Amino acid sequence: MLREWKTEWMKLKRRKAGLLVLAFLGFTFLWIGWVVSDADALDLADGYRWMFSNLSMINTILLPTMLAMLASRLCDMEIKGNTLKLLCTLEKKGTLFDVKLLTGGSFLILYVAAELLLLLAGGRLLGFGRPMEARHAAYFLLQNISVSLVIYLLQVMLSFRFENQIIPLAAGLFGSFIGLFSWFFPDTSLFRWIFVWGHYSLLHFTGYTWDEATRVMTFYDVEPSRAALGMVLALLVFGYLICRQLFVRKEV
Amino acid sequence: MKYIVETKDLSKSYRGKQVVRDVDLKVPKGCVYGFMGPNGAGKSTTLKMLLGLVKAGSGEAAIAGKTMNQRNRLEILRKTGSLIESPSYYGHLTGRENLEIVRTLKQAPEKEVDQVLKLVRMERQQDKKAREYSLGMKQRLGLAAALIGRPELLILDEPTNGLDPSGIQEIRELICELPKRLGMTVLVSSHLLSEMDQMADYVGIINHGQLIFQDRLEALHEHSRSRLLLKVMNRTAALKLLEMRQIEGRVAEEGILIPELSDDRAAALVQALAEGGAGLYRVEERQKSLEDIFLSLTGRRASL
Repeated sequence: MLREWKTEWMKLKRRKAGLLVLAFLGFTFLWIGWVVSDADALDLADGYRWMFSNLSMINTILLPTMLAMLASRLCDMEIKGNTLKLLCTLEKKGTLFDVKLLTGGSFLILYVAAELLLLLAGGRLLGFGRPMEARHAAYFLLQNISVSLVIYLLQVMLSFRFENQIIPLAAGLFGSFIGLFSWFFPDTSLFRWIFVWGHYSLLHFTGYTWDEATRVMTFYDVEPSRAALGMVLALLVFGYLICRQLFVRKEV
Repeated sequence: MKYIVETKDLSKSYRGKQVVRDVDLKVPKGCVYGFMGPNGAGKSTTLKMLLGLVKAGSGEAAIAGKTMNQRNRLEILRKTGSLIESPSYYGHLTGRENLEIVRTLKQAPEKEVDQVLKLVRMERQQDKKAREYSLGMKQRLGLAAALIGRPELLILDEPTNGLDPSGIQEIRELICELPKRLGMTVLVSSHLLSEMDQMADYVGIINHGQLIFQDRLEALHEHSRSRLLLKVMNRTAALKLLEMRQIEGRVAEEGILIPELSDDRAAALVQALAEGGAGLYRVEERQKSLEDIFLSLTGRRASL
């Protein structure tokens, strides 16, 4: 498996996959910077909760598109170059599928971890009132990594299925819109549950109240839905098993 | 005889249509085996089944004496190189980088990349991106990738497809060299009889999914040798004269077809036909086309 994974990184030379991830990270923090630019002392007092709330929504919008582009970068080189016929005589098809997930998953984990680190650094720089709570960091990782992995799995399948990468990329953009809309529905709404892109909002861990008179937002903790988490993890496990089996069974 | 590839009743169907039917391929070790057939005859599917890229509907395939299954497939294929249909390459990587990937997967020594580059005469183009290569260069890159790991068996599916005449010649020379220089067995498919004539020691012909001929190239030449067409006014008299001289004559639409004769026998026959009242007015030499051979072989399938 290590050998196959090593060749996956060799293949990624000049594919600018790292640059793609960095570009999205840069854009995310430009967005965050814009949000913070008109912050007052009250906002900064509970800065981390405020930022987690914003970052969760920004990720819901940007991550599906980024994951679609990443999956396409990783998979369409096999389609374009007709390489599956060669690779399948050199490595197990299941292993090839696994290393595609592992590589994309590594980029994703690094991305979310980098967000968290940049948030910490930004918090210190701006002097956020309260320290970052460990459980918030854990919830953030869980929310973004688990849902994104399910989406990435779907995108890998689409990128392998369609020679024309416009279709998987369109699916990514569609997912971004669905994800954004899902935040405007309550937890009980079917809209949040039936679309995988809506699961970011299902796993939210902060909420807020808005006082119109004082124009003050007050953030509070929300226990992430265990049912939603269970569903996302089940989707991840069963989705992986089904997609892998479909990939292995497909003749090249 | 020792066979490096041996299949037994290998079959495959797609949506109820049988594309490969009970193929018993026997590829002797150390030869160039030409696997021929018209487009859509089942050549690529058979080769893909040998490589485990397509799951066989029934039957089995053995490479180097080992019957292949899902568990030992990669172990067996480690000693096999392949180039199926169009060449496989990563366009954004250089030729050398492409070969490094294959070398890493095959766990071959580092020096092999230089060796195969030299073998396919690509040393000077190794640092160019593969997408900038001509089709011939891509085909050579595919061949170089197949040669990494010094395989005992090389499976090439129509390797000269789309190449210009000089490219075809180069690939052909390279294929012919391999058994002598490196002791490899080459199983190469093509739909061109002329191409096989210049490369193969053994040939197998597949048509409508059935292996209709398999033997040494010389045996195929027996089937493809030219015929003489006799155009006569009186076919009955001509056939009688042919029978008297123990020459097999077959009545065709245009005249009577007889096997090729030596010059002196042909001269004697012409004289006899002219003098015997057959009314001979034309003698034509007919070379069998590939299609004719396929047709005649299909007709004789039961006896082959």
